[in-house]
Order: sequence, then structure tokens, then C-alpha cells
Amino acid sequence: MTHRTRNLFPVLAFLAATFLFAPLGTEAQTSSAQSSTSARGERWLHVRVISTNSKGEAVRVNVPLELAEKVLPAIDHDRLHNGKVRVGCMDCDGVDVRTIFEAVRSSKDGEFVTVQSNDADISVMKKEGMLFVHVHDKNKPKHSQVEVKVPMKVVEALLSGSKDELDIVAGLHALAGQGDVELVSVKDDENTIRVWLDSKNVTTD
Amino acid sequence: MVLLAKIALGFGATVVLAGAYTFREGLIRVDVDETRGQGHHVHVWAPAAIVPMAMHFVPRAQMLRAGEQSAKFMPLVHAVAKELQKYPEAELVEVHDGSQYVRVRTHNGNLLIDAEEPGQTVHVSCPLATIDDVSRELAAFAPAS
Repeated sequence: MTHRTRNLFPVLAFLAATFLFAPLGTEAQTSSAQSSTSARGERWLHVRVISTNSKGEAVRVNVPLELAEKVLPAIDHDRLHNGKVRVGCMDCDGVDVRTIFEAVRSSKDGEFVTVQSNDADISVMKKEGMLFVHVHDKNKPKHSQVEVKVPMKVVEALLSGSKDELDIVAGLHALAGQGDVELVSVKDDENTIRVWLDSKNVTTD
Repeated sequence: MVLLAKIALGFGATVVLAGAYTFREGLIRVDVDETRGQGHHVHVWAPAAIVPMAMHFVPRAQMLRAGEQSAKFMPLVHAVAKELQKYPEAELVEVHDGSQYVRVRTHNGNLLIDAEEPGQTVHVSCPLATIDDVSRELAAFAPAS
């Protein structure tokens, strides 16, 4: 071995170490330049609960829909099996939920239920492929508002399982095909709750 | 003298390469700091690369027992770890409850859990790939259902 080649050993060792360390450096740079909008068109389900009490409680949950779709079938607990949840009242007090939904689905857009009382105003309507439920509770000191907006395709997918079952995975799959949408909004004197869908992997309040 | 230099160089290069490989695989970190009572402090830093390797040296009887005990939830852990690897940078859960705080996120392919309450803080960091490997190993020892 010549003197020159012998001198190359430390250089080669250093280069090899640098090569192995390189991915760490790249990851760090990538993470610092990361955008809040996911690059692969991922869909994220966000849940935010903000309490207005003095303790300032807050819960923020961000779940990739694809992850939920893959993980749910792995859960086998209580009423949840294979991504489907068993519900005991799909035929509540003689009211067949499936038949009602089928009737709503095949009917034209419109307001199906309107209840106005001293306690609460309730309305259920269908508009442009969305099912809207609005509840205005007048009993609380600061009137509470509940808005639920569910794409009809999602409801259809949820009910696509066998009788007395909600197919959660199918519902999530249908939800993934929707655009950005606020699904649930609850505002009362104690809490503000929001459930929404978008392409961002962080909660932007 | 030249021979000694060669041996030292070879040893040094091996250490550098082994170190580089180990740290490339990531670290498992567990930091527990208690400021109340006796104020226990636990800090464990271990190269993630050794965990799957070390599992091969665990007696088979112990692995069977661990596999049996974890059989119920290990498929879930495996599914979560496998899927979370697709999201190396994500804020998953954040809970503020007065003086208590919990945060679960992924960063650089690691799962990070931070929990704080008055008098105690816990920080855990573990590469998702390691969780995936360990859950897969344990699942292999689970009794067939």
C-alpha cells in the first residue's frame, strides 16, 4: 500500500460517515421548511374543543382519514368490529332509520323537519347533496347552537353495512372524497366544538 | 508503529460507521422529571437500532408470554405505527386542562409524547419504525387465534 493510498483511509471513513448521517440532515431541513398543507392530497379530520371556563381547557385532535381507515379495522372492542359499529336502535321504536334515509335521499332538496318552540328550534334539511341539522337551544343562559352538516354520500356509506350496523370505514372513505367541509359546530356558554375536514395537518384556529 | 496506526484507524473507522448507523436509526428517549416528593429523575437514551436486535436474545418463553399478553392490542399498535410512518410531521393530539398538558405528535419519523402536570413532566420519543418492528416481532409470538 502506498503512502498516498494510506492517507485516503481517514477521508474514506469520513465520507462514509457523512453519507450515513446525510438523511438526518435532510430530514431536519425538510421538517423546518414543512408546510401546513399536506403535499400528497391527504385529508385530515380535525376535532377542536375549546372550553370557555377559567381553566381554559382545550382539546385538539388531527387525524389523517387514511390512517383512520386503515387502523379502525384493527380494533376489535365492544361494539366495534372490523370497522363497523353495532348499534341497537336502527329500528328505534318502530321507526326504520334506513327507510327514512332512503326516502330523504330520493327526495328533492328541501326542509323536512321544522320544530319551533319556546325551548328550541330544530330543523332538518337537504340541500345540494348535504344533510343539515340545526338545533337552537333556548334554555341555556347563552343560547346554544348546534349545526351538523353531513354529505349524503357519507350517510349512505355509513348505512351500507348490514342491518343494525354503521360502516364507519365506508363512511370515512366517502368523507375522504369530499372537499373541505365543517361537519359539526356546537357553540354554547361552556364550550365551542368544531369537527371539520381539510387538507392541513395542523389545526389553524 | 505503522501496524498499530492501521489497527487504530480501522477501529476508529468502525466506531464512526457503527455510531453513524446507530444514530441514523434514531434514539429512544424517555425523560421523567419529578419535582415533587423525592424528585425522581429518569433519563433513558437508547439507540433504537439495538431494540429489534436485543429482542432476538430474549428467551423464547419470555417472548411467548409477552406475545400472549400483548396479542389483543398489538395488531392495533402495528397498524398505527405502520400508518403513522406515512406522516413523519404531524400534530395528532393536544390537550390543555388547566395546568395539565398532553401532546402527541410525530417529528422526523419519531412518535413524541409530552405530558406535563404540576410537579411532573414526561417526554417520550421513539422512532415509529422501531415501534413497527417491535410490534411485528411480538405479534409473531402471539398465540394463533
